[in-house]
Amino acid sequence: MSDIVLSLLLFTPLVGAIVALMMGGERQKYARYVAMVFSAIPLVISLYLLVMFNMSQAGYQFLEQYTWISTSFLHIQYILGIDGLSLVMVFLTTLLVFLVTLFSFEEKERPNFFFALIMAMELGLLGVYMSLDYFMFYIFWEVTLIPMYFMVSIWGGPRRHYAAIKFFIYTHVASLIMLIGIFALAFGAASLGGSGQLVFAFDYIAAAGFSGVFQTLVFGLLFFGFAVKMPLVPFHTWLPDAHVEAPTAGSVLLAGVMLKMGSYGIIRICFEALPEGAVAWQIPMVILALLAIVYGALACIAQRDLKKMVAFSSISHMGMVLLGLATLSEFGIAAGAFQMFAHGLITAVLFMVCGIAGHNIGTRDIPLLGGMAAKMPKFAAFMMFGFMASLGLPSLVGFVAEFNIMASFFFWAQDNNVVWVVIIALSSLMLTAGYYLWAMQRTIFGRVTDRVDLSHVHDVSTYEALALGALCGLIALFGVFPALAYDFIYPVAESLAALIGVI
Amino acid sequence: MVYPDFSMIAPQIILIAMALILPGVYFLLKDEKVLAGLSMVAILAAIGSTAYMMYEQMYGDFAGIFRFDQFSALLILLFLAVVFLVVLTSLKHVERDKHHAEYYSLLLGATAGMMFVASATDLIAIFIGVELTSITSYALVAFRKNDPRAAEASVKYLIIGGLSTALSLYGFSLLYGVTGSTNLVDIGAAISAAPSGMLLVSVAAMMAGLGFKISAVPFHMWAPDVYEGASTPITTFLAVGSKKMGFVALFKVFLVCFVLGQAVMVSEIQMAFAVLAAITMTVGNVVAISQTNIKRMLAYSSISQAGYLMIVLAVGTEYALAAGIFHMITHVFMKGGAFIVVAALCYAALGEHINDYKGLAKRAPLVAFAMMLFLFSLAGIPPLAGFVSKFVLFSSAISEPGAAASMQWVWLVLIAVINSAISLYYYARVVKYMYIEEGESKEPISLPWTYALAIGICVLAVVVIGIYPEPVISACEAAAAALMS
Repeated sequence: MSDIVLSLLLFTPLVGAIVALMMGGERQKYARYVAMVFSAIPLVISLYLLVMFNMSQAGYQFLEQYTWISTSFLHIQYILGIDGLSLVMVFLTTLLVFLVTLFSFEEKERPNFFFALIMAMELGLLGVYMSLDYFMFYIFWEVTLIPMYFMVSIWGGPRRHYAAIKFFIYTHVASLIMLIGIFALAFGAASLGGSGQLVFAFDYIAAAGFSGVFQTLVFGLLFFGFAVKMPLVPFHTWLPDAHVEAPTAGSVLLAGVMLKMGSYGIIRICFEALPEGAVAWQIPMVILALLAIVYGALACIAQRDLKKMVAFSSISHMGMVLLGLATLSEFGIAAGAFQMFAHGLITAVLFMVCGIAGHNIGTRDIPLLGGMAAKMPKFAAFMMFGFMASLGLPSLVGFVAEFNIMASFFFWAQDNNVVWVVIIALSSLMLTAGYYLWAMQRTIFGRVTDRVDLSHVHDVSTYEALALGALCGLIALFGVFPALAYDFIYPVAESLAALIGVI
Repeated sequence: MVYPDFSMIAPQIILIAMALILPGVYFLLKDEKVLAGLSMVAILAAIGSTAYMMYEQMYGDFAGIFRFDQFSALLILLFLAVVFLVVLTSLKHVERDKHHAEYYSLLLGATAGMMFVASATDLIAIFIGVELTSITSYALVAFRKNDPRAAEASVKYLIIGGLSTALSLYGFSLLYGVTGSTNLVDIGAAISAAPSGMLLVSVAAMMAGLGFKISAVPFHMWAPDVYEGASTPITTFLAVGSKKMGFVALFKVFLVCFVLGQAVMVSEIQMAFAVLAAITMTVGNVVAISQTNIKRMLAYSSISQAGYLMIVLAVGTEYALAAGIFHMITHVFMKGGAFIVVAALCYAALGEHINDYKGLAKRAPLVAFAMMLFLFSLAGIPPLAGFVSKFVLFSSAISEPGAAASMQWVWLVLIAVINSAISLYYYARVVKYMYIEEGESKEPISLPWTYALAIGICVLAVVVIGIYPEPVISACEAAAAALMS
């Protein structure tokens, strides 16, 4: 079992997508049950992996390696494997896909197609997090795009066509630049290795021993590809549009796990294959991270649309991830990776709440709302919980991540005699608390609004409450016992920091 | 008297024999279905004999002007696959027209011409093959002679084609003049001593002449008009068949004579091809964005694909040639598939305007899905065939097996990659119309089995080559080695 478990995990969603797609016409009402089953299986498998994962063993586990394409010029392999970091991301992916399916259980419009797209997306995401060959990595990276494109453009809001095509083209261009970087890595490794065959395996390329200049240049290409995905200011403009127009399920997966592909790529590819490039790019990374944190937070304050505010807060929090990574210390990399996980859980709650607001109240416009706690108590409770988690309330998961990032950044600043920059980073925490509290005050507290018709408003449905409740439980669980996830991540960060520290 | 080994051109003989028999059969039986069936039989027999000869490795020469080797065998199979798909699409498409015998007969003749080019080892043989295909194509474009658009397209094609033929013949004759031979290998042996001035005039004439055939910018303006005016199966034939023939002719003349023969100024000639390639792919893609007729859009996308293929001429290595052949093969199925979908929908009385594709996913879900696969494959989205072939083609410009990476063509690859990104815009637009926009009509569309079969073959090829390209790449490498050694 353990030698094909990753393939099993990878292709279950594909089978699920095909089966769900076939549930058209008369059989449409069964699509959601198919989706439920086929999204539960990967979750069970990932729980199995969590249990079976050997924490004391370094490197990748559950490895699967086959030759896929082998010609005189190309040597492309099918390699799957996970380490602690990928395992956490795999768990997050399967969890969110399952909960999103639960949340969207009552989807009425073309449900077979809808659930098939969710599972196609899961295929791409899992592939990205488990591939250990650049060719495969790129293929899965692109596979995530197409379902998202359809999801936004079919189930999206009024400006969905514009948002979908912008998302598609913008991120595809970034992927192509990343592909050029991958080309460069493969060609560089081939000329250093002297084999004359292009090998795309992660370990082969990481062991190539590139020169410093080469590493710096190629780091730039790959980093650009990942930065657009994360997204970092100023490459973020596709994100608010895509989020505002996307259906809730799309937003949750987009913010919860797709953005993490960018930061995961930085850790897995940029840092692992190009450690010298990482050192050379450290200052630009810190600057970009601070820019994203502060710009995202400031933009949040100005938003009228609740969902757009949450979208901008994602930019700010993903900047936080990069800030942790950019310290290049084991502490910082681990904190950044933990923030990826934490933000995945929290942002799922936030986007679900926004989806409920838009769907049940009919508007997400903050100035039109008010006093919702009286009308929709469960909704208000979940919203408050999500906002509190996101602004870093102690004992919830967001606090652990942000505290560690700030601490590692402080150490870095201290070592480089620039302690004052920590103030910039810290100021964002106040801004974050500010915009969340202010938004809550205007939407769920205060006088009940008379600017929208509240006669038909109903509270959170059972399926939605189940999904939200599970997420909130996990947020609290990992907030109190962060070691549950940290123990998986830390060894990866340790070995990376050691790799970079050698230089 | 010793006869040459006719078995080396057996596939061509089969097609030509059938082309000659068909009018007689029609005269006797007056049944269109028999004609299409007999054409199919001839094509399948030709495919079978080619495959058998490949399997038995019966490679050899015919009278010193044709050679059956891995290269010609692979391309003959490619052309036969094209005509197979075209005949399959034509079955229903021309059922309301007259002159079926001529139609199938001309189609087989044109294919035989392409196959002659594929196996030619002599300038005259190349020229005869090109002419055989061109002249039959003029008639095929004008097949619906009462349709003014077809008539206009045909006249345009005839005039441009005549000019292009004259130019290539002029180039060929100068090449003969400076080297004293029409045999490609002999030309290659003599070319390094040839005077450069005359050689350049010859190159310029051939570049322009064959440039028309492959619709390279600035010799491309006929293509959108002709593709739009011709009936769609013929457009498919021109776009994926006769254009490939132009490339084969160029590969033979430039790679075998000039690159292998190390002609004077060969690097300048390659640079000229690189510049033409960059211009061709950019113009094709940029103009395609503003097209509203789907056939014109696909025509411009064909132009840009020609630009990608011209990278092979610029780079001029054996591996690049293998990559080029690979891209030609995938292109047959993705572009051919897209045109067949257009033809099928045309038959179902859907227009050629992009607006007519609105809401197609609800009316014909499988056809829309196939079309989406073809378009995404053309845009180079993994894991489809177009991604792999572009990947191999672009990477072949940087280095080849056993050699260090060279920076010479990095700029060309960058332009090609950027173009790939641009092309996604207009391909994705069609997908958007099919899947997202609501159409005026909701009536389901059902297609005859012939179209479904043709589309199914293309889908299968696009997906299978995308996921498991290794055997095809190996065959392409063997083919390239056969031509360039």
